[in-house]
Amino acid sequence: MRPQDLRAKSFAKYPPQARAFAVANLAVLRQVPLSLLPILLREMIDYDWRFPVEQRVLTRQFQYLASLPQPSFANLMAPFAAVRLPAAIGKMDWVNQPQRFSEQLSGLLWSMQQMDAYRAAALTYQKTLEQVLVEPVPAISRLSIVVIGQGVPHSDRVLFRKLRPHGTIFTKVQPEDGMATLIGVVNDRAREHPAPYAHWYIDGGEPEPGCGLPQGVTLTSYHALAPAALKELNLTSRFVQQSSARSGVGPEAVQSFMAGLGPSDLGLHGDPSQTALRHFEVNVLTEGAGAQVFSTTFVQWTAREALRRAQPLTLFARFAPRQRMAPMEELLKRDPLTQKTDPEGSLIDADMGAYYTWINQQRLSGADRSCFLAWYEGHDIAVAIGPGLAKGTVSDSPANLRKIVAWMS
Amino acid sequence: MIENLRQIAQQTAWTRRDFLRSAAGAIGYAATSHVSPLHAAVRQQGRKTVVVTFGGGARDVETFAPSGQENIPHLIQELIPQATFCTQVVNHGILGHYVATASLATGVYETFDNFALVAPNHPTVFEYYRKGLGRPPNDVWVIAPSNGFNRIGQSSGANFARGYGAPVILPKHLLNAALGEHPNRGAFNFLLQDSYEDPMSTPVLGHTDVPLSRLTDVLHLSVEDFTRHAQTLSSADELSVYVMRQLMRQFAPSLLWITLHDMDVAHAGAYSLYIEGIQRTDRLCGEIWRMIQNDPEYHGRTTMFILPDFGRDSDMDASGNGFQHHRTGDALSRTTWMMALGPHIRQNTTVNRPLDSVDLVPTLGALMGFQTPGAKGRTIVEVI
Ligand SMILES: [Zn+2]
Repeated sequence: MRPQDLRAKSFAKYPPQARAFAVANLAVLRQVPLSLLPILLREMIDYDWRFPVEQRVLTRQFQYLASLPQPSFANLMAPFAAVRLPAAIGKMDWVNQPQRFSEQLSGLLWSMQQMDAYRAAALTYQKTLEQVLVEPVPAISRLSIVVIGQGVPHSDRVLFRKLRPHGTIFTKVQPEDGMATLIGVVNDRAREHPAPYAHWYIDGGEPEPGCGLPQGVTLTSYHALAPAALKELNLTSRFVQQSSARSGVGPEAVQSFMAGLGPSDLGLHGDPSQTALRHFEVNVLTEGAGAQVFSTTFVQWTAREALRRAQPLTLFARFAPRQRMAPMEELLKRDPLTQKTDPEGSLIDADMGAYYTWINQQRLSGADRSCFLAWYEGHDIAVAIGPGLAKGTVSDSPANLRKIVAWMS
Repeated sequence: MIENLRQIAQQTAWTRRDFLRSAAGAIGYAATSHVSPLHAAVRQQGRKTVVVTFGGGARDVETFAPSGQENIPHLIQELIPQATFCTQVVNHGILGHYVATASLATGVYETFDNFALVAPNHPTVFEYYRKGLGRPPNDVWVIAPSNGFNRIGQSSGANFARGYGAPVILPKHLLNAALGEHPNRGAFNFLLQDSYEDPMSTPVLGHTDVPLSRLTDVLHLSVEDFTRHAQTLSSADELSVYVMRQLMRQFAPSLLWITLHDMDVAHAGAYSLYIEGIQRTDRLCGEIWRMIQNDPEYHGRTTMFILPDFGRDSDMDASGNGFQHHRTGDALSRTTWMMALGPHIRQNTTVNRPLDSVDLVPTLGALMGFQTPGAKGRTIVEVI
């Protein structure tokens, strides 16, 4: 099948909103080169359970493509049209399995030594879209708060080394009621600026009470998802065993199997208004390497994906100790919640995770006004970054977390 | 927002020349070069070469950049002062560990599927060496980390006469065979870990058909000694270095290639484990160099090369997730370093011009005196 052969009925297997979206944009889809098209379909096929921001971005992208005069459109697509693909790849069901197609595509690009050219094309395309479809600056400054170091009573490590140059280190934080204070900050923002999936709380362990759906906050935690993660690993290893018995199985087949899993496969149920969240959680567990077995990886990856996809106003991420390292074979089989933990290792993981969370927030609109706070839980050290604070400085004055948050913006 | 991140990247930027200067500064050596007096004395004949791949996947920022130097004290304090250090080695190939290591060994960017159990398409340095110098099979050995690597010793044969390959030893397979029905097999699982990149579709090593005779005939170790020693180790790379020591004693091969892989645990996303992997690899590099110095068969005639197979994704590339993977193909994931040390290598010297990963094979050829006609790289004149 070639892109120009697409018809409305090609999308019969898509969920209702996705189908309607595809049909409405059929004229554009028919003109997109095959090396790019399945990447767009990958976003489209999940339209029904995408976050509102993602739906808006996708809509605007297609409005823009439809508005382009033919020569400009051809110009934009030229680098993708130049990608040479073997004829066999056109025989794949790229309409209904765009995920699978893009995995194969990536392998092909590497082996045909076209990866660099493709990468350049993708970057140009993305840059063009970013310039044209400027995301609106949010009504309030974004705020991400990352709490690290749970379960480490004392550490000699120099924390927040990578964040220091960008903000102020506070060395006399009053840690009393720190978590309650931060939850208060998050809940206040959710109350004053309510919007679906605009305020997030991600916990690497058992979440603190009083910050979740009733407060207008999207909540997800490793504690709640660990059983789903274990289920996913069990299903996948059963798939691998069955396939191996027949013919052997490659990493792409495994990824495709995992990509086909849905919330009900993993036993993820809950409030029907949270369907997008359930699908997001499945994506975290099926796409994020290590997020199933290490709670620290879970928090970092979930925060990254939440920022990238939902573009929240508020993100509160708290790391907890992960289970100790073990051979992969054991990690993939055992219940992560009942193992001995590695708090010191987790502190190092979380310190890096805090840095990555800040970087990921800086990728969103309004970055020059965005605020970021990372705190060593229960201790007197924190780093704060925001337009209200000097860069690369140290403050030795006593301060509580509420005050620091106020100083940032 | 792009601009914002670009600024961040610049703030944390340092040139590759800078980091070397800071590395040299840390040990207080002047950046002058001199030729070792042994240079002229050691003739090509009798030379030995050891190649250590500092794998799988190490970024500058955790190794030779100022912030990373604390992770590699052995390289910085013990080895760099004796080495010629190439600050810019770029891998233009596929960033998968087996295919990249195979490319290092053929001097051509191989393009096969990283996860396929295939031999490199182009002749390997092992074949060039053995055929060119008429050397017997046991004069070259490869110690490889995992299942996928077991065909790295000999090319598929389309471009080279068969029968000149290197024997490849997979220490994990040996251990696996040695353990048999060992009552405490589980205790060894750390050493049997085969792949971090693709743990789900990589079957756990079962009872394989590696003949136990390999252990006794080749390494002259009893099953009991081998398993007893393995019990004292904590990682697959330590097991590889242990096997390397046995091979050196047994055959003193003139071309010995060892691929280390522990740090690839980074794929699980835990930064602390990745750093531990780098620290262990650094320690093992120091240990290998001491093994060479303390072995009369190797001392005074051995050149050692250490180089990562490639880097890992940059923190600043939005399509990746920083240190965790090597998927974006960005400049940082392609750019690494290499050091060479040995009696005729200039000490405490840096080479700042850009080199290519495939330059290794022709350099080994020039160093040891054999032709490498199929290799695409260029000889690194600074180390021959
Ligand atoms: Zn890897």
